[in-house]
Amino acid sequence: MSNEKLNAEISEAIVNLDKEKALELANRAITDGLNLLDVVEHGLGAGIRRVGDLWDEGEIFLPELMLGGNIMQAAMELLLPHLKEHSETFNRGTIVIATIEGDIHSIGKTIVGTMLSANGYDVHDLGADVPAEKIVNEAIKVHANIIGVSALLTTTMTGQKKVVEILKERNLRSQFKVILGGAPVSRKWVEECGADGYADSAVDAVKLVKEL
Amino acid sequence: MLFKEWLKDEKKKILFDGGMGSEIIKRGIKPGKLPDLLNIEEPQVIRSIHQAYYEAGSDMVQTNTFGSSYLNLKNHKLEERLVEINQKALEIINKICPKNHLIVGDIGPSGVFKPPVGKATTDMWQSSFKKQVEVLNSGVHLWHIETVSDIEEMRAAIRAIKEVSSKPIISSMTYKKTKRGFFTIMGDSLEKCVEIQINEGADVIGSNCTLGSNEMVDLMKEFNNVTDRPISIKPNAGKPRLEESKTVYDQSVQEFAQDIVKIINLGAKIVGGCCGTTPQTIQEIKKEMNL
Repeated sequence: MSNEKLNAEISEAIVNLDKEKALELANRAITDGLNLLDVVEHGLGAGIRRVGDLWDEGEIFLPELMLGGNIMQAAMELLLPHLKEHSETFNRGTIVIATIEGDIHSIGKTIVGTMLSANGYDVHDLGADVPAEKIVNEAIKVHANIIGVSALLTTTMTGQKKVVEILKERNLRSQFKVILGGAPVSRKWVEECGADGYADSAVDAVKLVKEL
Repeated sequence: MLFKEWLKDEKKKILFDGGMGSEIIKRGIKPGKLPDLLNIEEPQVIRSIHQAYYEAGSDMVQTNTFGSSYLNLKNHKLEERLVEINQKALEIINKICPKNHLIVGDIGPSGVFKPPVGKATTDMWQSSFKKQVEVLNSGVHLWHIETVSDIEEMRAAIRAIKEVSSKPIISSMTYKKTKRGFFTIMGDSLEKCVEIQINEGADVIGSNCTLGSNEMVDLMKEFNNVTDRPISIKPNAGKPRLEESKTVYDQSVQEFAQDIVKIINLGAKIVGGCCGTTPQTIQEIKKEMNL
């Protein structure tokens, strides 16, 4: 099978949430000696981006979105050992992601985390209600490139600012990009915090991270 | 029973309360912990908020127990204090509920999802809600199950209440507006949710949170297409934003109250507010309703 044909089929399998088919095609790509990086980007990646768009458009819902992410990750796990032989630099980056202390709204953050790992990032999801200090400490520990902080409440958003402040205090600000998420977050708030960006949806979050 | 009389009286529109979170902060409490814990730590704060709502014109006010089901307390490592937190909530509101006004037992979502999102099961949900209901049942006049986004979880909550209590139930889901209509984030349509809520024996069907007042006007029209049960609507006060570390809502209370009047004119029986609404909002609704 050609790369192009397999990409189209595996992408469709992801959109159809057909795990069996997606894994079968991933194995096929390996045995046929296809360009696996191309399969990740234009097959699996294209599929999961479409799933993300369908979620944004209200065509599919949370269970389908999570399932799509899970299938993508399972396929990636098959491909990854073979990818490493060809490319040591496949991992696009390491991200620490958390919902800030005092805020238990974890759905948006979990979705963004799933989409980012589905897109080839090494995501460390610390969960919800996480103190700013802990987020920074974890980011240092796992050598993260990006820190993602989510807050749904205007009352807990100040914690997002605290993350940036702690980084500045410890002279670590230049080592990490800090991105913010959550319904009340705006460009103005990002500027006020001195953060590096924000996104309105999980799809935009992936685009944002790629740009950074 | 007063609530059932209100439901029967066609002219009566029931005014519910508004949000709790922003009122807590207004009274100088720093965010960062479960608001329900304030029932124990700062009972006078919760009491003054309840009082402000009754004084603003709320016919009924709900207990500060949104997060006090077993599973949600467990998320906060507070499950051992379930009885204490819920009991304190009753004590606080009991003392100040005026005559001919009601106390509503507030039941919020468990915070745990079913697969593939999380690991919750129907049995887990039901026994979690039951533990909370068993404590609250002695002091409330009726129930408000709210902000639930999975109809299976709602079903479990209604069943948990019915195991313990025969008091009326307002069953309120939270919906997102899509191009194809109103759905929960789990993908259940409004029609499906209403049908299940009716079959499970909810006395009032409702919606709260997520949607602002103008979107709730549209939702109310959809409710009219699928049921003639009494409807309860508690919208959010538009989208909040932070300006110089202060929460600002762009929508005025007047605009909000005018939308509520539209919702009442479309047939809603119970109205109030969710996140971002205040006693001032309730006052304004009362004014607009000429009550």
